[in-house]
Amino acid sequence: MTKLIQYLTLLFLALLSASCGSDTKRTTLDLENTDWETLVNSTSGKTVNFMMWQGSPVINEYINNYVVPTVKERYGINLQISGGQGPEIVQLVIGEKQAGIAQGQVDMVWINGETFFQLRKLDGLWGPFVDKLPNSKYINFEDPFISVDFQQPVNYMESPWSISQFALFTDTLQVANPPKNLEELERFVKENPGTFTISNDFTGMTLLKSFMAELGGSPKSLDGKFDQEKYDRLSAKLWDFINRNKKYFWKSGETFPKEQTKMKQLFASGELKIAYGYGEGGIEENVRSGLFPNTVKGYAWDNGTIKNSNYLGILQNAPQKAAAMQVINFLISPEAQLKKASPESMNANMVLDIDRLPEAYQKLYAKTKTRKYGPSMDDLKEHVIQEPAPEYMIKLYEDFRTAVIEK
Amino acid sequence: MKILERPLLKNKTNATGILLFIVLGVLPFAAAFIYALLYSFGLVGVISSGFTTEFWVSVIKTGSFFKSLGYSAAIAGIAVFLSVVIALWLTLKFKSALENKFILMMVYMPLAIPGLATAFFIIQLLAKGGFLSRISYASRLINESNEFPDLVNDNLALGIILAFLTMIIPFFMLLFLNVYKNERIEDLRILAYSLGATSRQVRNKVVLPILLKKTRVLIALYFIFLLGSYEVPLILGQESPQMISVLVIQELKQYDLDKIPEGYVVAVMYTIVVAIAAVFLFLPRKREQYV
Repeated sequence: MTKLIQYLTLLFLALLSASCGSDTKRTTLDLENTDWETLVNSTSGKTVNFMMWQGSPVINEYINNYVVPTVKERYGINLQISGGQGPEIVQLVIGEKQAGIAQGQVDMVWINGETFFQLRKLDGLWGPFVDKLPNSKYINFEDPFISVDFQQPVNYMESPWSISQFALFTDTLQVANPPKNLEELERFVKENPGTFTISNDFTGMTLLKSFMAELGGSPKSLDGKFDQEKYDRLSAKLWDFINRNKKYFWKSGETFPKEQTKMKQLFASGELKIAYGYGEGGIEENVRSGLFPNTVKGYAWDNGTIKNSNYLGILQNAPQKAAAMQVINFLISPEAQLKKASPESMNANMVLDIDRLPEAYQKLYAKTKTRKYGPSMDDLKEHVIQEPAPEYMIKLYEDFRTAVIEK
Repeated sequence: MKILERPLLKNKTNATGILLFIVLGVLPFAAAFIYALLYSFGLVGVISSGFTTEFWVSVIKTGSFFKSLGYSAAIAGIAVFLSVVIALWLTLKFKSALENKFILMMVYMPLAIPGLATAFFIIQLLAKGGFLSRISYASRLINESNEFPDLVNDNLALGIILAFLTMIIPFFMLLFLNVYKNERIEDLRILAYSLGATSRQVRNKVVLPILLKKTRVLIALYFIFLLGSYEVPLILGQESPQMISVLVIQELKQYDLDKIPEGYVVAVMYTIVVAIAAVFLFLPRKREQYV
């Protein structure tokens, strides 16, 4: 029995030390000495694991029925999709780093600036690699909405995939003159109690950033590095605005929807009269699928809404970095981006600079059908805010809980 | 020789069983607990910076754990109490009807539905834009969807409790039916009547005490199970207070990486509370009746 206890203690300690290991072995690809042709010639037959948000049927359709078969057919790459966004990706990276896993489960990820900030902090991204992709020549890296992600220079550590702007939307049949600034919003919620809310997620916090910029006095008021004093001053005004009006919000402001999909359901069922989202509101697919009536229209906020890009990154411990580069190069190809831009597909703005495209693609792009319901980025260009530093979002998340939800 | 071999063989089998239980059941759990404990004190973790009690102080100071624990315990307690009362009433009232195989199958059916699906059904049925609200609107009971009462994501956790009831009443009904048969309660009932007991005395002194005493451990275990349930409160609950598992996951997934250890603090505290409850639950009793 004593021996049994000794063995068990040893086994326990071994398990514990294995679980606490933090030494991460890295495999590096010698890109400096490898040309693109050699690199991609080695990718046939490889399996690339792509972790992405799978909450939209049109995005899933684009990936599963267009991207996956095309990369298989052209490059022999098996692209496998797994569900997960910001926090899941960060948790995965933290877990694998702690366990010292050199060959991770996931190769490439779809991220935004906040996750980019966290992954950089964890040293979880591999790169720089974007400048090695032949199709990156079509991207205008001079554009600050592309080269700067949440006020952080991208430095070729992540490849832009889409660019979009945040917008609000309403059913014009029910609300002829929707609120376009905080003063009007205050009036609107008092006249239409229970029909507005703030989702407690990335989308809701993005709206709060736009509100904060308005309280700061201009679309540029949150530009630059994170400023604690500015945050304290503007967030105090923001919480005051929300707390004095939340009794007129959905469920009297006693709770808030956990995520934007829930908010969109509430809008579809008529509980909410105003909602919002990225992709210039993201209403086109919902109207086309019949979730929203065709009287729903997106509109601009007077002081502006956030415009940003979303990106594709390769994880530090990705087993198939070269194949992941090949897939990303395809995703930013004029062909794949044009397909993605169609309102009948993902309806996402091209991240490529149209003027840099070959003439044939420019002609094809000119023929692309325009949106029927959502505003275009061009319609919103006078009302644009650059993504503030990630700390604003991180603090808003925490303080929205303590200063509003738990009050 | 044979006499000597048998206990030896039995001991070996027992030892293997215990070893397997420890390796598969106890060890991973203990390792995970100690890992969480170390994480909560900043001793492990990708961005840990050495021993600190700040995460414990922060969690205790904000009081969100205690609020969540109290809220979870209240919901689980109400759900278990109501389920036991309703299941007892249904079992005793309709026990002969429950002998019918078809009816029994209908009772089994809800047990096959996962909590996640139940929560979605409840949303579809009881939300302000849900089925009942639409019927109320069509029949002019309400003038707009906002007039429909708050039954999901609500203050009183009515949606969560309703989901729990639909999930556990069938379980308790089947449990009580089995105990009723196995403990020959019908015979004891007849005997009590023949000795001159009234219906009330038979119910309160014979039937209910046996049913409840034989099932009390399972009832308590169900309470602990509901205390830690995740999907149903995630979908039907409100943002504050939240049930304990939802709080743990929220803390673990927060964007501020420096505060992730707070999630481990909540997980460790919850484990300790449940462990203490389990020890009390399984402490050997001085007196076991009806055995």
